[in-house]
Amino acid sequence: MSAELLDAIEKAFDYRGDITITTKDGRSIEGYVFDRRPGESVRLLPKDGSGQKVTVPYSDIADLAFTGRDTAAGKSWEGWVKKYRERKAAGETGIALEPEPLE
Amino acid sequence: MPVPVSQAWTVATYVLKQKLAGRKRYPLVLMLEPLFRCNLACAGCGKIQYPAHVLKMNLSPEDCFKAVDECGAPTVAIPGGEPLMHPQIHEIVAGLVARRKYIYLCTNALLLKEKLHLFTPSKYLSFSVHMDGEREHHDFSVCREGGYEIALEGVRAAIARGFRVTTNTTLFEGADAKSVRRFFDDMMEVGVEGVMLSPGYAYDKAPDQKSFLGREGTRNLFRKILSNRKPGWRFNMSPLFLEFLMGKQTFECTPWGMPTYNLFGWQKPCYLLQDGYADTFQELMDSTAWEKYGTASGNAKCANCMVHSGYEASAVDATFGSLRGLWATAKATFSSTYADPAALKALEQPAPPSSSLVQIGAPKEEVGA
Repeated sequence: MSAELLDAIEKAFDYRGDITITTKDGRSIEGYVFDRRPGESVRLLPKDGSGQKVTVPYSDIADLAFTGRDTAAGKSWEGWVKKYRERKAAGETGIALEPEPLE
Repeated sequence: MPVPVSQAWTVATYVLKQKLAGRKRYPLVLMLEPLFRCNLACAGCGKIQYPAHVLKMNLSPEDCFKAVDECGAPTVAIPGGEPLMHPQIHEIVAGLVARRKYIYLCTNALLLKEKLHLFTPSKYLSFSVHMDGEREHHDFSVCREGGYEIALEGVRAAIARGFRVTTNTTLFEGADAKSVRRFFDDMMEVGVEGVMLSPGYAYDKAPDQKSFLGREGTRNLFRKILSNRKPGWRFNMSPLFLEFLMGKQTFECTPWGMPTYNLFGWQKPCYLLQDGYADTFQELMDSTAWEKYGTASGNAKCANCMVHSGYEASAVDATFGSLRGLWATAKATFSSTYADPAALKALEQPAPPSSSLVQIGAPKEEVGA
Protein backbone atom coordinates (compact mmCIF):
# COMPACT_ATOMS: atom_id res chain seq x y z
CA MET A 1 0.00 0.00 0.00
CA SER A 2 1.32 3.44 -0.92
CA ALA A 3 2.29 6.03 1.68
CA GLU A 4 -0.20 8.33 0.01
CA LEU A 5 -3.07 5.92 0.64
CA LEU A 6 -1.99 5.32 4.24
CA ASP A 7 -2.00 9.07 4.77
CA ALA A 8 -5.44 9.32 3.17
CA ILE A 9 -6.79 6.67 5.56
CA GLU A 10 -5.56 8.65 8.57
CA LYS A 11 -7.15 11.80 7.16
CA ALA A 12 -10.39 9.92 6.52
CA PHE A 13 -10.41 8.85 10.17
CA ASP A 14 -10.31 12.50 11.25
CA TYR A 15 -12.73 13.69 8.57
CA ARG A 16 -16.27 14.67 9.60
CA GLY A 17 -17.92 13.75 6.33
CA ASP A 18 -18.44 10.68 4.16
CA ILE A 19 -15.74 9.12 2.05
CA THR A 20 -15.87 6.57 -0.74
CA ILE A 21 -13.62 3.54 -0.79
CA THR A 22 -13.07 1.65 -4.02
CA THR A 23 -11.84 -1.88 -3.45
CA LYS A 24 -9.43 -3.80 -5.65
CA ASP A 25 -12.28 -5.98 -6.93
CA GLY A 26 -14.14 -2.86 -8.07
CA ARG A 27 -16.70 -2.44 -5.29
CA SER A 28 -17.55 1.06 -4.09
CA ILE A 29 -18.49 1.76 -0.45
CA GLU A 30 -19.58 5.22 0.67
CA GLY A 31 -19.85 6.05 4.35
CA TYR A 32 -18.42 7.56 7.51
CA VAL A 33 -15.08 6.21 8.73
CA PHE A 34 -15.40 5.88 12.49
CA ASP A 35 -12.45 3.62 13.12
CA ARG A 36 -9.25 2.39 11.63
CA ARG A 37 -6.94 -0.25 12.95
CA PRO A 38 -3.52 0.78 11.68
CA GLY A 39 -2.08 -1.70 9.26
CA GLU A 40 -5.23 -3.84 9.37
CA SER A 41 -8.58 -2.37 8.43
CA VAL A 42 -10.89 0.61 8.10
CA ARG A 43 -14.40 0.53 9.59
CA LEU A 44 -17.31 2.52 8.19
CA LEU A 45 -20.97 3.21 8.76
CA PRO A 46 -22.36 3.07 5.21
CA LYS A 47 -24.40 5.96 3.90
CA ASP A 48 -27.26 3.59 3.04
CA GLY A 49 -28.52 3.99 6.62
CA SER A 50 -28.49 0.25 7.33
CA GLY A 51 -26.44 0.87 10.45
CA GLN A 52 -24.41 -2.23 9.66
CA LYS A 53 -20.73 -1.57 10.27
CA VAL A 54 -18.49 -2.51 7.35
CA THR A 55 -14.86 -3.55 7.73
CA VAL A 56 -12.50 -3.13 4.78
CA PRO A 57 -8.98 -4.58 5.07
CA TYR A 58 -6.22 -2.17 4.08
CA SER A 59 -5.04 -4.72 1.57
CA ASP A 60 -8.39 -4.52 -0.30
CA ILE A 61 -8.37 -0.73 -0.74
CA ALA A 62 -7.57 0.54 -4.21
CA ASP A 63 -8.69 4.13 -3.79
CA LEU A 64 -10.19 6.48 -1.23
CA ALA A 65 -11.98 9.74 -2.02
CA PHE A 66 -13.46 12.44 0.21
CA THR A 67 -16.89 12.57 -1.38
CA GLY A 68 -19.09 13.94 1.42
CA ARG A 69 -19.25 17.43 2.87
CA ASP A 70 -17.04 18.10 5.89
CA THR A 71 -19.68 18.78 8.55
CA ALA A 72 -17.15 20.53 10.79
CA ALA A 73 -15.98 22.98 8.14
CA GLY A 74 -16.66 26.64 8.73
CA LYS A 75 -17.82 26.18 12.31
CA SER A 76 -15.89 28.03 14.93
CA TRP A 77 -16.46 29.88 18.15
CA GLU A 78 -14.99 33.02 16.63
CA GLY A 79 -17.46 32.77 13.76
CA TRP A 80 -20.38 32.60 16.19
CA VAL A 81 -19.10 35.58 18.18
CA LYS A 82 -18.69 37.65 15.03
CA LYS A 83 -22.11 36.77 13.68
CA TYR A 84 -23.73 37.29 17.07
CA ARG A 85 -22.29 40.76 17.39
CA GLU A 86 -23.31 41.70 13.87
CA ARG A 87 -26.87 40.50 14.36
CA LYS A 88 -27.12 42.10 17.80
CA ALA A 89 -25.88 45.39 16.39
CA ALA A 90 -28.56 45.16 13.69
CA GLY A 91 -31.20 44.98 16.45
CA GLU A 92 -32.07 41.34 15.99
CA THR A 93 -33.50 39.38 18.91
CA GLY A 94 -33.84 35.67 19.56
CA ILE A 95 -30.47 35.04 17.94
CA ALA A 96 -29.55 31.38 17.72
CA LEU A 97 -27.56 28.85 15.77
CA GLU A 98 -29.88 26.15 14.50
CA PRO A 99 -28.87 22.52 13.92
CA GLU A 100 -28.55 21.71 10.24
CA PRO A 101 -31.52 19.89 8.73
CA LEU A 102 -30.96 16.16 8.31
CA GLU A 103 -31.10 16.23 4.52
CA MET B 1 -24.35 15.60 51.29
CA PRO B 2 -26.23 16.20 48.01
CA VAL B 3 -26.10 12.57 46.85
CA PRO B 4 -28.66 10.27 48.51
CA VAL B 5 -27.19 7.90 51.08
CA SER B 6 -28.31 4.86 49.05
CA GLN B 7 -26.37 6.10 46.02
CA ALA B 8 -23.26 6.89 48.07
CA TRP B 9 -23.51 3.44 49.67
CA THR B 10 -23.89 1.71 46.30
CA VAL B 11 -20.84 3.47 44.88
CA ALA B 12 -18.79 2.94 48.03
CA THR B 13 -19.50 -0.79 48.23
CA TYR B 14 -18.89 -1.18 44.48
CA VAL B 15 -15.49 0.51 44.69
CA LEU B 16 -14.52 -1.47 47.77
CA LYS B 17 -15.45 -4.70 45.98
CA GLN B 18 -13.18 -3.72 43.09
CA LYS B 19 -10.39 -3.00 45.55
CA LEU B 20 -10.87 -6.30 47.37
CA ALA B 21 -10.88 -8.12 44.03
CA GLY B 22 -7.58 -6.44 43.19
CA ARG B 23 -8.92 -4.76 40.05
CA LYS B 24 -6.68 -1.82 39.19
CA ARG B 25 -8.85 -0.62 36.33
CA TYR B 26 -12.60 -0.58 36.78
CA PRO B 27 -15.45 1.54 35.41
CA LEU B 28 -17.33 3.84 37.74
CA VAL B 29 -19.66 5.72 35.39
CA LEU B 30 -20.70 4.54 31.95
CA MET B 31 -21.08 7.42 29.50
CA LEU B 32 -23.86 6.13 27.27
CA GLU B 33 -24.46 8.19 24.13
CA PRO B 34 -27.60 6.77 22.51
CA LEU B 35 -27.54 9.30 19.65
CA PHE B 36 -25.51 12.23 18.32
CA ARG B 37 -28.47 14.34 17.20
CA CYS B 38 -29.06 17.59 19.08
CA ASN B 39 -31.53 20.45 19.05
CA LEU B 40 -28.81 22.96 19.83
CA ALA B 41 -25.82 23.82 17.66
CA CYS B 42 -23.31 25.07 20.22
CA ALA B 43 -20.32 26.51 18.38
CA GLY B 44 -17.80 25.00 20.80
CA CYS B 45 -19.17 21.46 20.65
CA GLY B 46 -17.55 18.73 18.58
CA LYS B 47 -19.96 15.99 19.54
CA ILE B 48 -22.57 16.44 16.85
CA GLN B 49 -20.66 17.04 13.64
CA TYR B 50 -21.45 13.98 11.62
CA PRO B 51 -23.14 13.27 8.28
CA ALA B 52 -26.94 13.19 8.37
CA HIS B 53 -27.16 9.39 8.11
CA VAL B 54 -25.11 9.11 11.33
CA LEU B 55 -27.13 11.80 13.09
CA LYS B 56 -30.35 9.97 12.24
CA MET B 57 -29.22 6.80 14.01
CA ASN B 58 -30.20 5.74 17.52
CA LEU B 59 -28.90 3.02 19.79
CA SER B 60 -31.77 0.64 20.54
CA PRO B 61 -32.76 0.04 24.18
CA GLU B 62 -31.36 -3.48 23.79
CA ASP B 63 -28.01 -2.08 22.60
CA CYS B 64 -27.96 0.18 25.66
CA PHE B 65 -28.84 -2.60 28.11
CA LYS B 66 -26.17 -4.88 26.64
CA ALA B 67 -23.54 -2.15 27.08
CA VAL B 68 -24.66 -1.39 30.63
CA ASP B 69 -24.61 -5.09 31.58
CA GLU B 70 -21.22 -5.61 29.96
CA CYS B 71 -19.71 -2.63 31.74
CA GLY B 72 -21.15 -3.22 35.18
CA ALA B 73 -20.64 0.35 36.45
CA PRO B 74 -23.12 1.39 39.15
CA THR B 75 -23.80 4.75 37.52
CA VAL B 76 -24.81 5.59 33.95
CA ALA B 77 -24.63 9.07 32.50
CA ILE B 78 -26.65 9.56 29.31
CA PRO B 79 -25.29 12.47 27.27
CA GLY B 80 -25.40 12.72 23.48
CA GLY B 81 -26.53 14.56 21.39
CA GLU B 82 -29.70 15.44 23.20
CA PRO B 83 -31.05 12.24 24.78
CA LEU B 84 -34.61 13.56 25.02
CA MET B 85 -34.70 13.50 21.19
CA HIS B 86 -34.27 9.70 21.29
CA PRO B 87 -37.69 8.19 20.54
CA GLN B 88 -37.21 5.40 23.09
CA ILE B 89 -35.35 7.27 25.80
CA HIS B 90 -38.06 6.51 28.36
CA GLU B 91 -37.68 2.78 27.65
CA ILE B 92 -33.92 3.05 28.06
CA VAL B 93 -34.31 4.85 31.38
CA ALA B 94 -36.94 2.39 32.62
CA GLY B 95 -34.65 -0.52 31.76
CA LEU B 96 -31.76 1.04 33.64
CA VAL B 97 -33.91 1.83 36.67
CA ALA B 98 -35.00 -1.83 36.67
CA ARG B 99 -31.30 -2.70 36.77
CA ARG B 100 -30.88 -0.37 39.76
CA LYS B 101 -28.40 1.84 37.98
CA TYR B 102 -28.07 5.44 39.11
CA ILE B 103 -28.78 7.48 35.99
CA TYR B 104 -27.81 11.03 35.10
CA LEU B 105 -29.79 11.96 32.02
CA CYS B 106 -27.79 14.91 30.65
CA THR B 107 -30.11 17.27 28.84
CA ASN B 108 -30.21 20.84 27.60
CA ALA B 109 -33.80 20.74 28.89
CA LEU B 110 -35.34 22.34 25.80
CA LEU B 111 -37.69 19.34 25.65
CA LEU B 112 -37.75 18.49 29.35
CA LYS B 113 -41.08 20.02 30.28
CA GLU B 114 -42.96 18.37 27.42
CA LYS B 115 -41.31 14.97 27.91
CA LEU B 116 -41.53 14.73 31.71
CA HIS B 117 -44.71 12.66 31.54
CA LEU B 118 -42.69 9.85 29.96
CA PHE B 119 -40.71 9.33 33.15
CA THR B 120 -41.44 8.34 36.74
CA PRO B 121 -39.61 9.94 39.64
CA SER B 122 -37.10 7.54 41.16
CA LYS B 123 -34.08 7.72 43.39
CA TYR B 124 -32.23 6.13 40.47
CA LEU B 125 -33.01 8.90 37.98
CA SER B 126 -31.60 12.43 37.93
CA PHE B 127 -32.04 14.94 35.18
CA SER B 128 -28.66 16.61 34.83
CA VAL B 129 -29.48 19.88 33.11
CA HIS B 130 -26.81 21.64 31.11
CA MET B 131 -26.63 25.18 32.47
CA ASP B 132 -23.49 27.14 31.59
CA GLY B 133 -23.99 29.82 34.21
CA GLU B 134 -26.25 32.83 34.48
CA ARG B 135 -28.70 33.68 31.69
CA GLU B 136 -26.37 35.74 29.51
CA HIS B 137 -23.46 33.33 29.82
CA HIS B 138 -25.60 30.25 29.24
CA ASP B 139 -27.34 31.66 26.17
CA PHE B 140 -24.06 32.80 24.67
CA SER B 141 -22.40 29.47 25.39
CA VAL B 142 -25.18 27.37 23.84
CA CYS B 143 -25.63 29.87 20.99
CA ARG B 144 -29.31 30.41 21.64
CA GLU B 145 -30.95 33.43 23.18
CA GLY B 146 -33.79 32.36 25.43
CA GLY B 147 -32.25 28.94 26.09
CA TYR B 148 -31.69 29.68 29.76
CA GLU B 149 -35.34 30.49 30.40
CA ILE B 150 -36.56 27.32 28.71
CA ALA B 151 -34.05 25.20 30.62
CA LEU B 152 -34.99 26.83 33.91
CA GLU B 153 -38.66 26.20 33.21
CA GLY B 154 -37.82 22.53 32.65
CA VAL B 155 -35.80 22.39 35.87
CA ARG B 156 -38.65 23.89 37.86
CA ALA B 157 -41.22 21.56 36.31
CA ALA B 158 -39.08 18.49 37.02
CA ILE B 159 -38.48 19.50 40.63
CA ALA B 160 -42.19 20.21 41.09
CA ARG B 161 -43.00 16.69 39.89
CA GLY B 162 -40.60 15.15 42.38
CA PHE B 163 -37.67 14.32 40.12
CA ARG B 164 -34.07 14.56 41.19
CA VAL B 165 -32.48 17.44 39.27
CA THR B 166 -28.84 18.49 39.10
CA THR B 167 -27.13 20.95 36.79
CA ASN B 168 -23.90 20.53 34.87
CA THR B 169 -21.75 23.49 33.89
CA THR B 170 -18.73 23.60 31.62
CA LEU B 171 -16.42 26.54 32.18
CA PHE B 172 -14.17 28.06 29.55
CA GLU B 173 -11.37 30.58 29.40
CA GLY B 174 -12.57 33.97 30.58
CA ALA B 175 -15.43 32.66 32.73
CA ASP B 176 -16.57 35.22 35.29
CA ALA B 177 -16.03 33.64 38.72
CA LYS B 178 -18.40 36.03 40.49
CA SER B 179 -21.12 35.28 38.01
CA VAL B 180 -20.60 31.53 38.48
CA ARG B 181 -20.98 31.99 42.24
CA ARG B 182 -24.20 33.94 41.71
CA PHE B 183 -25.35 31.09 39.48
CA PHE B 184 -24.79 28.65 42.36
CA ASP B 185 -27.00 30.85 44.56
CA ASP B 186 -29.70 30.85 41.87
CA MET B 187 -29.64 27.08 41.43
CA MET B 188 -29.80 26.46 45.18
CA GLU B 189 -32.78 28.79 45.35
CA VAL B 190 -34.51 26.92 42.54
CA GLY B 191 -34.00 23.74 44.54
CA VAL B 192 -31.64 21.60 42.49
CA GLU B 193 -30.05 18.71 44.34
CA GLY B 194 -26.53 19.82 43.46
CA VAL B 195 -24.39 21.36 40.74
CA MET B 196 -21.68 19.70 38.70
CA LEU B 197 -18.73 21.51 37.17
CA SER B 198 -16.04 20.74 34.67
CA PRO B 199 -13.44 22.75 32.78
CA GLY B 200 -13.92 22.72 29.02
CA TYR B 201 -11.21 20.94 27.13
CA ALA B 202 -9.93 21.28 23.59
CA TYR B 203 -10.41 17.73 22.40
CA ASP B 204 -9.67 16.93 18.79
CA LYS B 205 -13.10 17.45 17.35
CA ALA B 206 -14.02 20.63 19.24
CA PRO B 207 -14.14 23.53 16.78
CA ASP B 208 -13.09 26.07 19.39
CA GLN B 209 -9.47 25.23 20.05
CA LYS B 210 -8.49 28.51 21.67
CA SER B 211 -10.96 29.03 24.48
CA PHE B 212 -10.21 26.02 26.62
CA LEU B 213 -8.47 26.28 29.92
CA GLY B 214 -4.86 25.30 30.56
CA ARG B 215 -4.10 23.56 33.85
CA GLU B 216 -2.90 26.67 35.67
CA GLY B 217 -5.85 28.66 34.34
CA THR B 218 -8.20 25.91 35.52
CA ARG B 219 -6.77 25.90 39.03
CA ASN B 220 -6.90 29.70 39.30
CA LEU B 221 -10.47 29.88 38.07
CA PHE B 222 -11.77 27.09 40.28
CA ARG B 223 -9.88 28.41 43.30
CA LYS B 224 -11.73 31.70 42.87
CA ILE B 225 -15.06 29.98 42.38
CA LEU B 226 -14.85 27.25 45.00
CA SER B 227 -12.96 28.93 47.85
CA ASN B 228 -14.95 30.76 50.54
CA ARG B 229 -17.98 28.61 49.83
CA LYS B 230 -21.39 29.53 51.00
CA PRO B 231 -22.80 26.95 53.41
CA GLY B 232 -25.89 26.30 51.29
CA TRP B 233 -24.05 25.30 48.12
CA ARG B 234 -24.36 21.64 47.18
CA PHE B 235 -22.14 19.88 44.66
CA ASN B 236 -23.11 16.57 43.11
CA MET B 237 -19.50 15.54 42.66
CA SER B 238 -16.59 13.96 44.44
CA PRO B 239 -15.29 16.51 46.98
CA LEU B 240 -11.74 15.46 46.17
CA PHE B 241 -12.33 16.16 42.48
CA LEU B 242 -13.36 19.70 43.38
CA GLU B 243 -10.16 20.01 45.40
CA PHE B 244 -8.27 18.72 42.36
CA LEU B 245 -9.78 21.50 40.25
CA MET B 246 -8.69 24.01 42.90
CA GLY B 247 -5.11 22.68 42.84
CA LYS B 248 -5.34 21.07 46.28
CA GLN B 249 -5.08 17.47 45.08
CA THR B 250 -2.99 15.74 42.45
CA PHE B 251 -4.39 12.82 40.49
CA GLU B 252 -3.50 10.89 37.37
CA CYS B 253 -6.07 10.33 34.65
CA THR B 254 -8.12 7.13 34.85
CA PRO B 255 -9.99 7.17 31.53
CA TRP B 256 -11.33 3.64 32.08
CA GLY B 257 -13.25 5.04 35.07
CA MET B 258 -15.78 6.68 32.76
CA PRO B 259 -15.87 4.61 29.55
CA THR B 260 -17.98 5.77 26.63
CA TYR B 261 -20.33 3.66 24.53
CA ASN B 262 -22.08 5.04 21.46
CA LEU B 263 -23.19 4.22 17.92
CA PHE B 264 -19.63 3.35 16.94
CA GLY B 265 -18.90 1.06 19.90
CA TRP B 266 -16.65 1.46 22.95
CA GLN B 267 -14.65 4.62 22.45
CA LYS B 268 -10.86 4.58 22.90
CA PRO B 269 -9.52 5.87 25.20
CA CYS B 270 -12.02 8.27 26.80
CA TYR B 271 -15.08 10.44 26.49
CA LEU B 272 -13.25 13.22 24.63
CA LEU B 273 -10.58 11.57 22.50
CA GLN B 274 -11.55 9.29 19.65
CA ASP B 275 -8.62 7.07 18.83
CA GLY B 276 -10.75 4.19 17.68
CA TYR B 277 -13.49 1.84 18.87
CA ALA B 278 -13.75 -1.59 20.42
CA ASP B 279 -16.70 -3.92 19.91
CA THR B 280 -16.91 -5.09 23.51
CA PHE B 281 -16.12 -3.56 26.88
CA GLN B 282 -13.56 -6.28 27.54
CA GLU B 283 -11.87 -5.51 24.22
CA LEU B 284 -11.75 -1.84 25.21
CA MET B 285 -10.07 -2.68 28.51
CA ASP B 286 -7.67 -5.19 26.98
CA SER B 287 -6.71 -3.49 23.73
CA THR B 288 -6.40 0.18 24.69
CA ALA B 289 -2.82 1.34 25.21
CA TRP B 290 -3.73 3.17 28.43
CA GLU B 291 -0.11 4.11 29.09
CA LYS B 292 -0.24 6.43 26.07
CA TYR B 293 -2.83 8.72 27.68
CA GLY B 294 -3.04 11.09 30.64
CA THR B 295 -0.63 13.81 31.70
CA ALA B 296 1.94 11.28 32.94
CA SER B 297 2.20 9.83 29.42
CA GLY B 298 3.45 13.07 27.89
CA ASN B 299 0.69 12.84 25.27
CA ALA B 300 0.18 16.41 24.05
CA LYS B 301 -3.56 15.79 23.60
CA CYS B 302 -3.86 15.17 27.34
CA ALA B 303 -1.49 17.87 28.60
CA ASN B 304 -4.06 20.39 29.84
CA CYS B 305 -6.99 18.12 30.55
CA MET B 306 -8.57 18.20 34.02
CA VAL B 307 -11.99 17.06 32.87
CA HIS B 308 -14.30 15.03 35.11
CA SER B 309 -14.35 12.12 32.67
CA GLY B 310 -10.63 11.62 33.24
CA TYR B 311 -10.21 12.64 36.84
CA GLU B 312 -13.39 12.28 38.88
CA ALA B 313 -13.07 8.51 38.94
CA SER B 314 -9.46 9.02 40.08
CA ALA B 315 -10.76 11.13 42.96
CA VAL B 316 -13.32 8.51 43.97
CA ASP B 317 -10.67 5.82 43.78
CA ALA B 318 -8.45 7.94 46.05
CA THR B 319 -11.28 8.26 48.56
CA PHE B 320 -11.42 4.51 49.01
CA GLY B 321 -7.72 3.87 48.44
CA SER B 322 -6.54 4.74 51.96
CA LEU B 323 -7.65 6.02 55.34
CA ARG B 324 -6.07 9.33 54.37
CA GLY B 325 -8.36 9.49 51.33
CA LEU B 326 -11.42 8.68 53.40
CA TRP B 327 -10.50 11.29 55.97
CA ALA B 328 -9.86 13.96 53.32
CA THR B 329 -13.21 13.21 51.72
CA ALA B 330 -15.08 13.31 55.03
CA LYS B 331 -13.40 16.59 55.93
CA ALA B 332 -14.18 18.09 52.53
CA THR B 333 -17.79 16.91 52.70
CA PHE B 334 -18.74 17.98 56.18
CA SER B 335 -16.54 20.79 57.34
CA SER B 336 -14.60 22.84 54.84
CA THR B 337 -15.65 26.20 53.41
CA TYR B 338 -12.14 26.61 51.96
CA ALA B 339 -11.56 30.06 53.43
CA ASP B 340 -9.00 31.79 51.22
CA PRO B 341 -8.52 35.58 51.51
CA ALA B 342 -6.37 35.72 48.37
CA ALA B 343 -9.10 34.02 46.33
CA LEU B 344 -11.64 36.43 47.77
CA LYS B 345 -9.48 39.35 46.70
CA ALA B 346 -9.02 37.88 43.23
CA LEU B 347 -12.81 37.75 42.89
CA GLU B 348 -12.92 41.52 43.14
CA GLN B 349 -10.78 41.99 40.06
CA PRO B 350 -12.66 43.19 36.97
CA ALA B 351 -14.75 40.57 35.20
CA PRO B 352 -14.33 39.86 31.49
CA PRO B 353 -16.55 41.86 29.09
CA SER B 354 -20.18 40.85 29.45
CA SER B 355 -20.57 39.19 26.05
CA SER B 356 -17.20 37.52 26.24
CA LEU B 357 -17.52 34.14 27.85
CA VAL B 358 -14.20 33.37 26.22
CA GLN B 359 -11.17 35.34 25.23
CA ILE B 360 -12.01 36.33 21.71
CA GLY B 361 -9.34 36.33 19.06
CA ALA B 362 -9.47 37.63 15.53
CA PRO B 363 -12.25 35.82 13.66
CA LYS B 364 -10.91 33.31 11.14
CA GLU B 365 -13.95 31.58 9.82
CA GLU B 366 -17.61 32.28 9.72
CA VAL B 367 -20.34 30.09 11.02
CA GLY B 368 -23.62 29.67 9.26
CA ALA B 369 -25.67 31.72 11.70
